[in-house]
Amino acid sequence: MSDRFWQQAFAVARRDLDRERRAGEVTWVMIPFGAIALLLVPLAIGINQDVLSRIGTGMLFVVVLLFGVLTAVRRTSIETPEQRDLIALLGIDPAAEFTGKTMASAFLLLVFQIAMGAVALVLYGLDISGWAWMIVVMPLTAVGLAELGTVSASVAASTNAGPALVPLLVTPLAIPLLLAATQTVESVDREGGNLTWPVLMAVVVLVLAIVGVATARPLQETR
Amino acid sequence: MSDATRTRIGALDIVATVSVVFALVFAIASPRIESQGEAARLLFVHVPTIWLAYLAFAVTFVASILYLATRRLRWDHVAGASAEIGVVFTTVAIIGGMVWGKATWNVYWTWDARLTLTAIMLFVYIGYLALRRVIAEPEARARRSAVLGIVGLVQLIPVHFSVTWWRTLHQTNTFRPRDIQMDGPILAALLVSVAAFTVVYAALLRHRVRLEGLELAAYAAAAAPVGPVAGDAVSAPNIGNSGAQP
Amino acid sequence: MPASDSLILFEGVAARIGVATILRDVDLVVVPGESVGLFGANGAGKTTLLRVIATLLRPSGGSARVLGVDLASQDRFDIRPRIGLIGHKPALYPELSLLSNLEFSARIAGLDLRLARKALDQVGLAQAATRLVGESSYGMQRRVEFAREIMLDPDLLLLDEPHSALDPSAIELVEHIVAGVLERGGAVVLASHDVEKVAPMVTRTAELAGGTVA
Repeated sequence: MSDRFWQQAFAVARRDLDRERRAGEVTWVMIPFGAIALLLVPLAIGINQDVLSRIGTGMLFVVVLLFGVLTAVRRTSIETPEQRDLIALLGIDPAAEFTGKTMASAFLLLVFQIAMGAVALVLYGLDISGWAWMIVVMPLTAVGLAELGTVSASVAASTNAGPALVPLLVTPLAIPLLLAATQTVESVDREGGNLTWPVLMAVVVLVLAIVGVATARPLQETR
Repeated sequence: MSDATRTRIGALDIVATVSVVFALVFAIASPRIESQGEAARLLFVHVPTIWLAYLAFAVTFVASILYLATRRLRWDHVAGASAEIGVVFTTVAIIGGMVWGKATWNVYWTWDARLTLTAIMLFVYIGYLALRRVIAEPEARARRSAVLGIVGLVQLIPVHFSVTWWRTLHQTNTFRPRDIQMDGPILAALLVSVAAFTVVYAALLRHRVRLEGLELAAYAAAAAPVGPVAGDAVSAPNIGNSGAQP
Repeated sequence: MPASDSLILFEGVAARIGVATILRDVDLVVVPGESVGLFGANGAGKTTLLRVIATLLRPSGGSARVLGVDLASQDRFDIRPRIGLIGHKPALYPELSLLSNLEFSARIAGLDLRLARKALDQVGLAQAATRLVGESSYGMQRRVEFAREIMLDPDLLLLDEPHSALDPSAIELVEHIVAGVLERGGAVVLASHDVEKVAPMVTRTAELAGGTVA
């Protein structure tokens, strides 16, 4: 990867984060919406502290997955045909564009996960003995989910059903991330940590990066 | 109905029909499996449908790669048609598995790794078909669904591992067809059934691919109705004052 | 003229969008220093022809070369940075400031960021640099697009309806940009339905009708 590649990737990531900073979709919509979802669970199943602390980590990652998908379809990540023409003519490497978009989404997803983690910790009284693993699990979840979101959003770009379709495309494919994230954190209680799951996540992240870079060119062609 | 659009019953269709009848006879004639009861005869439907689901989605994957490599719409038609057939057979497989589960353990859903995986696979390809529906332009649809056809199958590999590992951690009653003693007649009936279903798949695929071609022709006819170029659709305004011809 | 010198060399080019044929049998030769005015009614295919020249839409037939590169080959991606296109809808991000939009283009193109501010000054928007595109008028947005092309300095400039929503000083600006490209040995193709308005900017005209250049 040349300097030019990373220069373009960082420019795209910076553009996306700048746009998001002005629009505030993650801060003002996704985080409150996710927090309400976490609040709804005890209301629906009853306030039994044992049950809540047992299912809390799982609920946290369900919310991260279902609501985190929305970062891929946030309004400021969607480009008009004119914007896509421009960026193509500027001579962008499609793989750099994929990388940049993924970096921006991953950063936003990490912020989202930290916020959701804090809310879940407070609401569910979680046992945090396994949470040291979060330092590994959260970034891997963020990158994996961002990769799936970026590919799916490009695939569904400028169709009327795009924003509704992307969650359907991403969610089933993100199941390894969900399972690995919850199992890593919970396995600490049983066996004091298990590297299998983080390794699986890392493999998923790597494979998706390869697929995303390889398919970036055909997806960039506007017609 | 014009000649081009008429359904032609080919030799493949006849072979498919005959082999299904043949498979049915084998399934009914095969000996009763004592440990499982009559419900175990679902084996002869369940195993072939699962096999077809995997075969169909693998064909979609390969056809997607071939489309991106050659840019021939024919490969896109194969990919789309195969995914559609795959979704139908996956649904049949899941329903069959649920009926079998109810008969064996009195529950429809067991969280068996295979059942869970099959359900996830179904959703992946329902998404794939939904994507195909929302893109009208044939080449854009082909390109994007090809990417999804590739990403989807590649990602199903970690899905497979994660669900299998997750289930081994919470081991309960897992049912595997191979728990049944596969002696001569049963194995023979199963193989006949798998072969018959595969022929049915080939016949359905052939018809569905032909239909995709007709859909493309219909789309082309609807998109260019006026003249040799699309711009011919715009003519001089007909407002009755100036020199414009009505 | 020798064919190898032409910046655009189209022979019998056809183009489709989906299955609809938009262009057929288009012959067009544009040499350095030339500014071609492309005229035609609504739906004649002007925008499509510009997109084909810009490598954004692959021709479905004929032989098309732009800046010496065959558009059917993978090399077409390499010439993209040398082509500038101003369409009728601005290709700007409404949540970013005028300057940020230009700086983004500069970063992708690998240019010095100071060029962005300089170009904004040249189009008379230095005072409004930090204003958001979404809060700027259409005329200002068009000026930002002109600033972008000044900064990128393309060898081939494509303009789609350059006169819409422009005041006289902005039209002067377009004429200045066109003259600059021609002086440096580049070429310009501009699409319009108004022959008279673009007359001062073109060295010759071509008419697009029935999907082909008459």
